[in-house]
Amino acid sequence: MTAVVEARRRGRHTARWIAGTVLVVVAALVALLATRPPASATEVFTPLLGKPAPAVSGTTVTGGHFDLAAERGRWVWVNFFASWCPPCQAEEPALVTFAYEHRAQGGAVLVGVVYDDTAADARAFDRSAGASWPAVVDPGGQIALRYGVRGPPESFLVSPRGVVVAHLDGQVKTSDLDGQMAAATRDGL
Amino acid sequence: MRGVRRGPAPAHLVWLVVVVGLAVVVGFSLTGRGGSPDAARRAASLDAVLKCPSCDGISVADSSASSAAAIRQVVLARVRAGQSDEQIESYLVGLYGPSILLDPPRSGLTTVVWVAPAVAAAGGLGGLALFFWRRRRPAAVAVTSADEALVDEALAEAAGWHGARR
Repeated sequence: MTAVVEARRRGRHTARWIAGTVLVVVAALVALLATRPPASATEVFTPLLGKPAPAVSGTTVTGGHFDLAAERGRWVWVNFFASWCPPCQAEEPALVTFAYEHRAQGGAVLVGVVYDDTAADARAFDRSAGASWPAVVDPGGQIALRYGVRGPPESFLVSPRGVVVAHLDGQVKTSDLDGQMAAATRDGL
Repeated sequence: MRGVRRGPAPAHLVWLVVVVGLAVVVGFSLTGRGGSPDAARRAASLDAVLKCPSCDGISVADSSASSAAAIRQVVLARVRAGQSDEQIESYLVGLYGPSILLDPPRSGLTTVVWVAPAVAAAGGLGGLALFFWRRRRPAAVAVTSADEALVDEALAEAAGWHGARR
């Protein structure tokens, strides 16, 4: 009789331990998800890595002209964006900071490519964010296609030799952009 | 005033007009400005096996996304330029990777990705089955006559208690 009672008590004890462990794991997951920093860009493989950067040439949203080929000798971040895309809105301050810091140094160039958006909306978006870099319109989506873009924001780093050396998918931070350039320089790309 | 006599057009002139007309029609279709039904058919069949890059599991043919429209445009232009299906697919795989194909070629890693969850689920179910089987197994401690006597005594006590209450 006591053995049966003892076994039952042990069983209840084990169940309590299992329930407690599950509870702790769930609580830890909730805490982790609630406190982690907002989603940021991830480095994603693209078949373009190590290959010559596809052409980015055309009219800008302000009526000017941009040609990636003319920027040879400088680092260029090609950023695909749209005014309707929340992560694009969220990353804009980081891009403004990056452009400002590198304009002062005469270093890297930033160019936007409008993705599935009107030139007028993209121009208004850039103006409200204080973006000073050129944004090329891409009416048929052919520039985006040549870069294999799936959805904005996506950013491609083009080396001074005109080769694609990094691809970031999602909302970028200034440190992401600087970090990728530093890594590429270190690797002699 | 001598009137000019207009006779029937010479045969060679008629043939010239026919040949020029045919050349214009053929040239028109080859340059793609008129669009050949064969090219459109081939482009459509290619669109059906390509995955819209900005959608979830929808073909380029079925999607209205701008990325799908751009791909349709490129496919049609390349078909008209005389490229083979393999050349066009390979061009797009070179931009987007193999995931641009609705049915990408199987690699070892892909197989692992598909098989691993099934193996994990089977392992989990097996573990649960083993756990419950062990719980249902008779206790390792054998019931002795002393235990049975104790149970009998307790039952008798309970019966007496119930009897007293009635």
